[in-house]
Amino acid sequence: MEPTSISMYMSNVETIPGMTIAKSLGLVTGSTVRAKHIGKDIFAGFKNFVGGELKQYTDLLNESRNEALQRMMMQASSMGANGIVNVRFATSNVAAGASELFCYGTAVIVQ
Amino acid sequence: MSEDSSFIIVLVLLFSLLPILLPFLSWAIGRWYQGRLMDALVLNEKQNGVMLQNDQHLSTASSMTTMAAASSTLLHVSICVGPSMGQIFFMWFKSLFGGRLHSYDVVLDFGRREALLRLNQQAKDLGCSSMVNIRIETSTVSFAKNNKNKTSSVEFLAFATGIRQ
Repeated sequence: MEPTSISMYMSNVETIPGMTIAKSLGLVTGSTVRAKHIGKDIFAGFKNFVGGELKQYTDLLNESRNEALQRMMMQASSMGANGIVNVRFATSNVAAGASELFCYGTAVIVQ
Repeated sequence: MSEDSSFIIVLVLLFSLLPILLPFLSWAIGRWYQGRLMDALVLNEKQNGVMLQNDQHLSTASSMTTMAAASSTLLHVSICVGPSMGQIFFMWFKSLFGGRLHSYDVVLDFGRREALLRLNQQAKDLGCSSMVNIRIETSTVSFAKNNKNKTSSVEFLAFATGIRQ
C-alpha cells in the first residue's frame, strides 16, 4: 500500500457539500485484486462452523477497499484535482479465490 | 471392567458418528450463536442506533435541497457474514421444496443492520451530524480455492456522505 495518504474532498453525491465545483476533470478509477492468505482462509473455515461475521474477510475487504480508494486519489491528484464526487464502489469475483474491488468517481476542482 | 468397556464403545461410536453429527452440530451451534449476535445487535441498536438525520437532509436522496454544510466526508463500511456449514447443508435440502430460508434470512438481516450501525458509528466518530445518499450494496464473496469448499459469504457495503454542520 502507498505510504503517503492524500487527503481529498470526497462524496457520493453530485457535489461536495459546503463547497462549489470550479471545474470537472473527468473519470478517475481505482482497483485492486486480492486473494486470501491460506492460513487466514483455514481460520475463516473454522469460523464458518458457526457462521456469523467472518472477521478475516471483513478486514481484508476493508483494507483492499482503502487501497483502491488510495489509488483513485493518486490518479485524481495527478490530474490536479482536489476532490472526487459521485464515488461508486463495485465488487466482483474475477477468479476462484480472488476478488476485485473497484471504485470510480469524477475528479473535480473545488473551492 | 464392564463400565470401562462400555465407555470405550461409546467413545468409538461417538467418533464414528462425528461426520454424520457434524452438520447437525454446526446447524445447532450456528443457530444459537447467530441468535446471540442478533440479541447483541438489537441491544446495540436500542442504545445508539438512532440514525443521524435531520429534516433538511434526506437519508437516501442523491441531491440535497438545502445546503447548510460546513464540510463533508465519504463514509464507507463493509461487513462479511455467512451462515454456518450445517445451515448451508440443510438449506440445500430446503431449497428442493422452496419456501422461506430462515437461516439466510437471519444472517442477511443481521449483516445489513450491523453494517448500517457501523456506518452510523463511523459518522459519529468523524464528527458528522447527518448522512445523505446512503447506499447499501450486496455481493457474494468467495475466497475458496476450489469448488468443493463451500465456504461462501455475503458482503454488505454501506456508504454515504457525512455532513458536518
